[in-house]
Amino acid sequence: MFSIADTQSELMDCLLDMGQLLLSCGAEISRVEDTVSRMGMAYGAEQVDAFVITSIISLSMKFPGREAVTETRRIYSSSGNDFYRLEKLNDLSRRCCASPLPVSELHEKLRHIDAGRKPMSVILIGSFLGASSFALFFGGSPADALVSGIFALGICFLQKALAKTKINPVGENLLLSFVTGLAAGLLCAALPSLSMDMILIGDIMLLIPGLAITNSVRNMLVGDTISGVIRLTECLIWACALAGGFMTALLLLRIILKAV
Amino acid sequence: MKEILIRLFCAFIGSYGFSLLFGLRKRHLLLASLGGLFSFAVYLGVDALAHNAFLATLLASVFAVFYAEVLARLRKCPATLFVIPAIIPLVPGGSLYYTMSNAIRGDLPEAVTYGRQTLLAALAIAAGLSFVETLWQLAAKKEGR
Repeated sequence: MFSIADTQSELMDCLLDMGQLLLSCGAEISRVEDTVSRMGMAYGAEQVDAFVITSIISLSMKFPGREAVTETRRIYSSSGNDFYRLEKLNDLSRRCCASPLPVSELHEKLRHIDAGRKPMSVILIGSFLGASSFALFFGGSPADALVSGIFALGICFLQKALAKTKINPVGENLLLSFVTGLAAGLLCAALPSLSMDMILIGDIMLLIPGLAITNSVRNMLVGDTISGVIRLTECLIWACALAGGFMTALLLLRIILKAV
Repeated sequence: MKEILIRLFCAFIGSYGFSLLFGLRKRHLLLASLGGLFSFAVYLGVDALAHNAFLATLLASVFAVFYAEVLARLRKCPATLFVIPAIIPLVPGGSLYYTMSNAIRGDLPEAVTYGRQTLLAALAIAAGLSFVETLWQLAAKKEGR
């Protein structure tokens, strides 16, 4: 066994990193609390108290014969889904709970998982398929589906560019829906056989926080009320931002078309 | 009939697309997207029999968790990986859009109708998921794990 004294603060770091990663990959609140607590116990803590909401992790650990230590970590991004990293993290925590890895090795593994982002090509293909099939699904024509898919590619690139500017989610949603609404409106004015509703529904499936709303209600139903309320409020505000963007685009379009 | 097949096919491809977008590994892709197809088939079946969208969504999401939990056991990975793709076709994207577009157009009664539909669907999915998850956890505890 390794000595706890040298590694306690590094272990604390590791567990907070792990919780943060789990949240950013879309794990449920209860799963994050559960995983972090189990890991702490596996490393020999007498008591572990983890409190997690979407914006903060608070972790308190007490090892036998030592004082309890508490640290908190502010979380800035806890929306998003990354199943690849989620699965890796799950494997890692299972392995650690069965037989704890040395803390430095755990740190290394976490850093490795953190670095493994998904390639852009996969995101593009996924968005194209997602948007175009849901345009069809909700009653659009194949042409609508194609246009919706192509717009989805544009949205991906725009999202990537916006991520660099660290814009807030409300601004991002406003901008994305404004640009998409304007592009779809202009295209439909030029080609009246296209259905603007269907094109936008396909693209909105990518933007709309439908999954997040479902997850927020789910959090509330299993007892993570605070996180559920925070997330639901955020989602409703984002949905309003989306609607605001579209509304501005449509109004602008009406004025332009009248002028022409 | 043709329309139903097209929707089922779209549900499958849509789930596949979202699974890709969420970075699901290749070896899970097919089963995860099939989950979307099956759960939407459950939705269509129940809706045709009972004419109740809430009940249909609820039962479809109940099915989705069972499907996901069983696969998660077999593949030894978190159930979320299969739950999310399976509920994608149930997510009320369409009615959320119509809520917004009616609100923009100034047709408030229509917006409220669609808004209600959207929230009810989200509630049905969430209730189905948490109900089965709770049962599953109880069963797992009884098993002594």
